[in-house]
Amino acid sequence: MTDWILIVDDEAMIRENLKAYLEDEGWRVAAFEFVAPALDWLRAGGGACRVCIMDMRLPDMDGNSAIRILHQAYPDLEFLIHTGSSSYSLPEDLRAMGLDDSRVYQKPLADMAPLAAAAQRLAARGGST
Amino acid sequence: MPAPPPSSPPPSPPSSSPLQPHGWPRPLYRWGLALAAVIGATTVTLLDPFSYHELLLDRWFGPASPDLHGFTALLRHAVWLLVPLGMVTVVALSWSWLLQRQVTQRTRQLQWELNERRQIEMALRESEARFRDVTEATSDWIWEMNEQLRFTYLSERFYALTGIAPHQVIGQAPWEIGSAHSVADQEHGSQAWKVLEQRRPFRDFVYQTRLNGNQHEGRYLKVSGKPIHDVQGRFLGYRGTGADITDQIRAETALQNSELRLRRIIDLVPHMIFAKDRQGHFLLANRATATALGATVDELIQRSHAAIHRVDEETDRMLADDREVIDSGVPKFIAEETFTDHTGRARIMQTLKIPFVEPDLNETAVLGVAIDVTEQKHAKEEVARMRLYLRNIIDSMPSVLIGVDPWGYITVLNQAAEQAGGISWEAAQGRFFGDVFPQLERQFEQVRQAIRLGRPIKTPRMTLDLQGELHYADVMVYPLMADNASGAVIRMDDVTARVRIETTMVQTEKMLSVGGLAAGMAHEINNPLGAILQGSQNILRRIAPDRPQNRAVADAIGIDLDRLNLYLEQRQILRFLEGIREAGARAAKIVADMLSFSRRSESSFALGPLEEMLETVLRLAASDYDLKKKYDFKRIAIERDYDPHLRLVYCDKTEIEQVILNLLKNAAQAMAEEGTPAPMITLRTRRETDYALIEVIDNGPGMDEKTLKRIFEPFFTTKEVGAGTGLGLSVSYFIVTEQHNGRLSVLSKPGQGARFSIRLPLSREALP
Repeated sequence: MTDWILIVDDEAMIRENLKAYLEDEGWRVAAFEFVAPALDWLRAGGGACRVCIMDMRLPDMDGNSAIRILHQAYPDLEFLIHTGSSSYSLPEDLRAMGLDDSRVYQKPLADMAPLAAAAQRLAARGGST
Repeated sequence: MPAPPPSSPPPSPPSSSPLQPHGWPRPLYRWGLALAAVIGATTVTLLDPFSYHELLLDRWFGPASPDLHGFTALLRHAVWLLVPLGMVTVVALSWSWLLQRQVTQRTRQLQWELNERRQIEMALRESEARFRDVTEATSDWIWEMNEQLRFTYLSERFYALTGIAPHQVIGQAPWEIGSAHSVADQEHGSQAWKVLEQRRPFRDFVYQTRLNGNQHEGRYLKVSGKPIHDVQGRFLGYRGTGADITDQIRAETALQNSELRLRRIIDLVPHMIFAKDRQGHFLLANRATATALGATVDELIQRSHAAIHRVDEETDRMLADDREVIDSGVPKFIAEETFTDHTGRARIMQTLKIPFVEPDLNETAVLGVAIDVTEQKHAKEEVARMRLYLRNIIDSMPSVLIGVDPWGYITVLNQAAEQAGGISWEAAQGRFFGDVFPQLERQFEQVRQAIRLGRPIKTPRMTLDLQGELHYADVMVYPLMADNASGAVIRMDDVTARVRIETTMVQTEKMLSVGGLAAGMAHEINNPLGAILQGSQNILRRIAPDRPQNRAVADAIGIDLDRLNLYLEQRQILRFLEGIREAGARAAKIVADMLSFSRRSESSFALGPLEEMLETVLRLAASDYDLKKKYDFKRIAIERDYDPHLRLVYCDKTEIEQVILNLLKNAAQAMAEEGTPAPMITLRTRRETDYALIEVIDNGPGMDEKTLKRIFEPFFTTKEVGAGTGLGLSVSYFIVTEQHNGRLSVLSKPGQGARFSIRLPLSREALP
């Protein structure tokens, strides 16, 4: 059975490219420009979404806050951070959620394979629990 | 000149018994009266008219008888006549005898008296002559005064001597013409006036005349006198002698003044002047001596040195010196001796002791002159100390200091100069500086100019080749003008380090601005770059014939995917796509590099095992075989020169590895480009006092100075366009200097390889 993956990124081409790549890898992808619709989508059922790729600089809120909100609502949801900011560092509370530097992917990604592999690992881990 | 002895009164004639007016002695006179009586009686008798004698005859012969006649009568008469005659004769004879005796006696007496008188006269005359001679020979004169005490007479000598005219004196009282000589004399003088008024004798009264005579000043007169009285004891005036003692007084005054002046002079002399006898008694001491010994000059005289100067050790030594001089009769010079004055202050004296015979003592004494040389000695010591101090100063200066004369011959070198020239000051003295310091030879013109113009001449950042290393030096030539001893000082400061620091700072500033700029735009660039890179990847994936999704879609629309790929390949579309991907990747790398020009947190710092890190880098480099970059790391000989004492380095391991990798790649690339025959890279580590040194040394083409100057600048590259970003070394530089507070330097010359030195601080405190 194919897993859902949630992408939140305001850059359309990034969103589209990630979606294309992950779909090629066999994921079912839900991609949003804003956090709010993503949350709506999750509330509306969101399928068996276990992994979220989150951009940091978003039009409606910053990525860290979005992760906190989503984590609160869906504690099993795992996050991968995909940011264009060079100075990004994980806040402590996010680290407390189990996130570490290996979850952070710096844009531009010349190769999306490691990101996809990480998503795969997280989905598998979530599935096993 | 001693005053003439108090003039004795002129020798008066010896006093004689008062002469009677007639000149006869009283007994003779009585005899004469008797004789006259007898003669008178005889005469009366002879002419006796009353025949008194008859009576007498009768008494004698009996009464004359009238019968006596003729003869008897005649006889009678004859007897009468003869008896008185005989009596008279007897009387006359005895009278004559008596008279004769008297006359003889008297004559003898007169003769004696005459003699006496003559002798007295002679003596008087002699006395007078002698007196006159004496009076004339000495400067004495005779004076007389009447009972009103006014001068009535002055002997010629007075006028001759004093040149005072008689009319100025005669009729004057002594107090009208003179005043007492001195205060003491004034008292004496008023007493003398009193004496005069009391008509008593006086002696040796000195007074000064107000009369000038033929002199400019009044004369000093010394007078003695005694009152004269007549027989009745009436006061007639004064008589006396006087002398002009002006010359004597003047001589005495001069002598006194001279002594006073000498005394004053020796008291004025600040040095100690003294004379001592054999036993160490002071015969003479000036004020300086007395002051030093805490006494007055008078207290010192005739007292023994030992009693006054109570520093036994010094006293013993000084007295021993005195005796040595007295015994040997040879002056002694004591260059330095200690003397503790009465306040307890130790002084250093320079003393000369001279033997001399003290006239009153009739034995050899010692005359000493002691000069306080404490100050000089201190000054001398101070000069020596100062000299040493100055020497220390110039020696401790890091600058090379070379003192030269106007002809360029070395006069002084400081320690830095001795080291730079590899020669000692003594050996270099008198040699031409250009011979000792060939690198400064061209400065001779500056030396001459500096001396001529009298101002310093600067040659900034002169490049020097020191044992194959490029150094910068600021050379300053200062003219020396003091003491007319013209010359110059050449000061050379190695400013290599400063020049590098300055360059570094410029670089750092540039990099930080690049970093700041990059950070601002990174996000905006990274998103489009992501789109490009991810897009390229998706394109390549979605045209790949082996993917089932691709095939499914192709089949659905009736396209042969293999043929499409053939087309894409033939038209080089795949190549272009690859180009897009690569360009995107390179742009991403540039942005990433630029972003590293910003300060980072220390969180990633840890103690890294240096050797391990270097081996990791070597492995990474070896795997970085790049056909396109035309170099093969495996062809390069690697020499490891690791310091066993340097094991751990506190650093951001990844960053430092990146820096070393970058240096290795640059070296390999440069050697490959140049085609260096036996390419070799030496990795060397050294533990320095404050730094861990990591060096990457190659034997490649090296770099010229122009390249070296700019090598750490961002975007500066010697590689062909596209081969490098131009940020590698500047990023390395930034990582080392800014993030690790270390140093990155390079030494290179064209054709002589390059040596990059990374220095990382050993202490964590030195980290940013």
